[in-house]
Amino acid sequence: MSEPTQAEARRIAEEARDRVRFEEEALDLSDQVFRVARHLVGSREEAEDLMQETYARAFRSWRSYTPGTNLRAWLLRILTNLNIDRGRRQQRTPQMTSIDEHGDYYLYDKLVEGEGETPNEERVIAKLSQGSIVDALAHVPHDFRDVLVLVDIGEFSYAEAAQILDIPIGTVMSRLHRARRILKGELAEEVAS
Amino acid sequence: MRLSDYDPDCLKCEEVMQPYLDRVLDDAQVREAEAHLDACDYCRQRYRFEVSLRRYVRTVAAEKQMPVELKAKLAALRTPLQ
Repeated sequence: MSEPTQAEARRIAEEARDRVRFEEEALDLSDQVFRVARHLVGSREEAEDLMQETYARAFRSWRSYTPGTNLRAWLLRILTNLNIDRGRRQQRTPQMTSIDEHGDYYLYDKLVEGEGETPNEERVIAKLSQGSIVDALAHVPHDFRDVLVLVDIGEFSYAEAAQILDIPIGTVMSRLHRARRILKGELAEEVAS
Repeated sequence: MRLSDYDPDCLKCEEVMQPYLDRVLDDAQVREAEAHLDACDYCRQRYRFEVSLRRYVRTVAAEKQMPVELKAKLAALRTPLQ
């Protein structure tokens, strides 16, 4: 085999440098990506598997990432696609229940019972345990949970969530609204029981 | 309180509260939502509750730290240097 030309050697060195930079940036974001992943799937083990598959794929296809664009969103797009490909359990769209329909009011009204005229919202929130939030999130059906987790936990904009999940922005908004209602309905049921 | 007990303006406010919190309303809608929030104690309290709830959900989520071993496993997936 002939020796690489100088230009070719330079190109190879530049590509290696770009790849290393990409890998380091992706790894720096792994804590943030994990936080989202952990709430997209049911267990820590699943989240860890999904993270490894995501990073393996990201490192393989790093050339398709456009430098300067949102790398965290790019990684989450791989992750959510893999999560769907893993054949996650299909869940039916839940039927509207009376709590769901009135969920936004119901949870608040339930929590402020006995709090007097001007309830302190920190004390009201403290009535919800951390465990109840995690459980309630896990009960939100996948399609709705994906949007909720990306926007409320991942702090992505509607537009970014739409891009990550490859759905129209209007669908992001309607699913988000519904997801928050379901979440509050779940929490309300727990408070009521 | 039942849903039918609320002022129709509260129901309107309910509709815009989520997008208001997400800061995606246009200026006119923001003014309308804020005018209602200024005038209605109940909606203002609920607005504060929504803000606190979202913050709380985010805090709870942030407790889920990535295990150190997983970080090492991800680093091991990097392409070896030639």
